Amino acid sequence: MNARFIDWIWHVRGSLTLAPEQSSDDAFDRLRPLFRETGTSHELASDTLTFRKKDQAAQDKMSVFDGGVLQIEKGTAGSVLHYCLTSRALLFCFLAPLLFLGFAQLTVAIGKFEKAPTEAEDKAGKDKKKAEVPMNPIDKALGAPAPEKPKQDGADKAKEREKKHSPTSAYVFAAIFAALYVIGRILEDRRLKALFRKSLLAA
Amino acid sequence: MDGVRVGKRLIGTQSPVTVGWENVPRVEGGPVKQFVFTWFQPTVLFALIAFWYYAPNSIAKASTAIGIGIGFKVLLLTMEWFFPRHESWRLTWKELVTDLFYVGLGYTILRMIDGYIGDGPIIEAIQHYFQSDKFMWFTGMPLLVQAFLISFIFDFGQYWMHRGMHNWYPLWLPHSVHHYITQLNINKGAVGNPVELFLIGLGIGGFFDFLPRAALLAGAFGMAIGTYQHINVRFNSPRWWRFLFNTTEHHSLHHSQDFEASRSNFSNTYIFIDRIFGTCVDGEAELLGMEGGRRMSIREQMTFPFTEGWKALKEKYGRAKFGEDGFAEPAGVPAE
Repeated sequence: MNARFIDWIWHVRGSLTLAPEQSSDDAFDRLRPLFRETGTSHELASDTLTFRKKDQAAQDKMSVFDGGVLQIEKGTAGSVLHYCLTSRALLFCFLAPLLFLGFAQLTVAIGKFEKAPTEAEDKAGKDKKKAEVPMNPIDKALGAPAPEKPKQDGADKAKEREKKHSPTSAYVFAAIFAALYVIGRILEDRRLKALFRKSLLAA
Repeated sequence: MDGVRVGKRLIGTQSPVTVGWENVPRVEGGPVKQFVFTWFQPTVLFALIAFWYYAPNSIAKASTAIGIGIGFKVLLLTMEWFFPRHESWRLTWKELVTDLFYVGLGYTILRMIDGYIGDGPIIEAIQHYFQSDKFMWFTGMPLLVQAFLISFIFDFGQYWMHRGMHNWYPLWLPHSVHHYITQLNINKGAVGNPVELFLIGLGIGGFFDFLPRAALLAGAFGMAIGTYQHINVRFNSPRWWRFLFNTTEHHSLHHSQDFEASRSNFSNTYIFIDRIFGTCVDGEAELLGMEGGRRMSIREQMTFPFTEGWKALKEKYGRAKFGEDGFAEPAGVPAE
């Protein structure tokens, strides 16, 4: 399978047409400050700029990206900046729902595994009854609702176990990360383009 | 940098910090904004106490608490977005994803592990061994006293666990990861190596029996006070609030790049515990983190305590210490 069918997940590509009078040297001069951030190294060879980032700062405008190539091609209609950047954060966010779905499956599996031996325990526990719950006179005077009478142990335990083995939160987080991925893939793409455009136009 | 003398210590010799409430900036803006950001925290706290105190049993449930907790976080995230304390702490997409990943771990896999080897099962096992029941007499006390005790006992334990983490290398290793965060945001409290997240969650509250309503009230204390530790919003917290409770100011100092400043303000909710034991410093810092503010990737956050621990072990017991020929090599002298 061609990698390009899936590598859009963590690659952000695009192109920007330079102003007719703008030379590639001038364009790279304007873009270069973006690559002088902490943890960023870059090389410029003729019309290609390659950069790499490690432990990039949280507020680095390109913190989402870990590396990439920027190339200026001269065409008949003027020069065009092509870029291809990679982002481990995007890949991670894309895979995160799978991880949380895995947690959900694990929760369900453990729940099933534990169900059998504990049912007998519940039956044993059902015979025991808890004492009445006291209420402090101060709380009575202030009008707080009286505490509920304790339910039988067995019923409580079964409910607790059900909660313990509920995969709901894992599903919720899987959905959150799926949504975050879509948002991030679109947002960071646009932010990058806007950042390059702004830098190229900067005086 | 000269730093500021606080007791016997010099705070802020390595990285800029602000010490003393009189030097901490106040909320800027019109009278309405000033009013809101002065009274927001106490209003939420007392409203929540009233709610959990009087809510009928059908509403006073853990599921309601989870709902309120999520709603409150969303509200605070919105406040962070519109009224950031520091522009340099602004929440980005990547920061949000990272933070939520750890929040997600807390709600799923860590909770599951905690159910087997956390404080709950350990305490149950101890009680079973000694054939002792929980301390039932706690349930006879007034609700608010019970609630305070639950949160205080937990916070007191957490204070010493946290202080231990800053003083004993094996505990520091898992906790150090949390100190590599370079900005404070609502969910940053969840960021850290899973080993630490497990350790910091241990408490002895399980030995006592409380009314469920008291536990919900205690949760409200934690939420309405502790959440502000990692918030990127400035409040004019009332003097009594700052005296009793941990604030984002206190905690930013704890996360400062300055070593001495980071060894203060260990409690989670009640800063008066720090005052009692002489570790409280009132002030704030903007430059946070370790190694000059190096941001760690999630991968490194997961492995750092183990790789660093291995390095330390090798240094102490490994062959390198004695060299190939069996003679001790000269110890490296750091340039600074």
